[in-house]
Amino acid sequence: MTERIIEAFAASPIPAGCCTESGRWVLRAEADTDITIAEGAAVELLIVDGAKAVNIDIDVRKGATLRIVEVVAQHSATQLSIAIANNGECSLTQVVTSPSDVRVAASLVEEGASFKHNGCFILVGEEQGSVTVDVNHMAAECISHTAVKGVAADKAHGSFSGLVYVAPGAQHTDSVQSSRNVTIGEARIETLPQLEIYADDVKCSHGATVGQMDSEAILYMRQRGLSTAQAKRLQIEGFVQDVAMHSAIESLAEELMTLINAKLNSL
Amino acid sequence: MLKVENLHAKVGDKEILKGINLEVKAGEVHAIMGPNGSGKSTLASVLAGNEKFTVTEGKVEFEGENLLDLPIEERSRKGLFLGFQYPVEIPGVSMANFMKIAVNEQRKYRGLEPLTAAEYLKMMKEKSAIVELDSKLTSRAVNEGFSGGEKKKNEIFQMAMLDPKLAILDETDSGLDIDALRIVATGVTRLKREDNATVVITHYQRLLDYIVPDYVHVLYKGRIIYTGDKTLALKLEKEGYDWLINDYKEE
Repeated sequence: MTERIIEAFAASPIPAGCCTESGRWVLRAEADTDITIAEGAAVELLIVDGAKAVNIDIDVRKGATLRIVEVVAQHSATQLSIAIANNGECSLTQVVTSPSDVRVAASLVEEGASFKHNGCFILVGEEQGSVTVDVNHMAAECISHTAVKGVAADKAHGSFSGLVYVAPGAQHTDSVQSSRNVTIGEARIETLPQLEIYADDVKCSHGATVGQMDSEAILYMRQRGLSTAQAKRLQIEGFVQDVAMHSAIESLAEELMTLINAKLNSL
Repeated sequence: MLKVENLHAKVGDKEILKGINLEVKAGEVHAIMGPNGSGKSTLASVLAGNEKFTVTEGKVEFEGENLLDLPIEERSRKGLFLGFQYPVEIPGVSMANFMKIAVNEQRKYRGLEPLTAAEYLKMMKEKSAIVELDSKLTSRAVNEGFSGGEKKKNEIFQMAMLDPKLAILDETDSGLDIDALRIVATGVTRLKREDNATVVITHYQRLLDYIVPDYVHVLYKGRIIYTGDKTLALKLEKEGYDWLINDYKEE
């Protein structure tokens, strides 16, 4: 499945170490990697996690735009660290369909940097997985939006942990963090969104929900002739496919939907 | 088509329907009116098969079969449609996708092949025209961000798509402005045929200017206490329910 996504994206392997210029690139996360996005460059990057625990460090230089789709379809423990400089922009979409420990740390190190992150994880059977997102606002006038959705079915166990840190002097920070989760059957999801703020003129919000499916909506769909299973499936699909529909790299939206659907088929 | 005999139903410990008798034949339109809290919406929910309510007594036959034995989705596939008083919003689920599954489930139940993509699109276009539903709405999530009028139009659009034998419309007119009411009511009238039937639950006579009923029933405290023709609705509009329900108030 992930090979198909790499093929569809048709990009060259990203050069490690030296400066990456504008273009589309792919990274198979099989070893620790340092990447630098050149000043003002516009880069689309597909990261496909392997089965190893690796560190990927990315520097987004002044005014650069980096769009990342990270696909985690095998048991993985990748740590993605992103530092974003003056007026740099990074948007990240993560789709996690395997029991993994996924970590993201984004640092907004200079004024005007922005980080937009949406993601989902789906766990079934007895799978266990976690998503950890740390966002560090180190400079003033920066924006960060994080929205992670979780689905756990059967006896699966998932967790989300998010921290937004606002350093002293990081005034006019604009930060939103949300964690929305649906559990089916005996599954559990824990969510821990946290804010740590040391500046006094900031706008930060966070929210977390864990719930069962909406029984009114299931009833409505059944009245139109859908079986309970079909109605539940459609509702879950709607909940997570939204992440693929808003993929940081638009051309990968369809592929991500296919990946998500394949996982949902095992519910 | 539908035969309800001595139907009793409760929610929790509270008995709401206390012996409903009602017969609806093909080609007929029945209106059910009555003061708030008399059990109108409960009757609609029980007939549709909402598991929140428990039937304690009586029987319901639909097309010669025991309706109460069937789960909600099978009642739908057999041709029973409920227009919801409060249509539910389902984020992330597109109207077009949802209806496609619904239509094809019904076809499967009736031993028909699923529609091709082209056939389905053509059907959607035709049916959305019946209620002047903006075709953009069918590509959006079910009822999400729809106005009150759009939600009700969307109910009638779904009714048109599913072409039910019996449609029960639960206060489809509530919350509609004059134009939306006309469009919704005209839509229902256009779907009317000799081989189907409609039960409309309403508070207001004005809906019945468009959807002309053969019978008007008054439901009070869980029973149908009076049945008349369309003139009854006019009389109720003018005189209220007091003259009818005085005899029952003491119960």
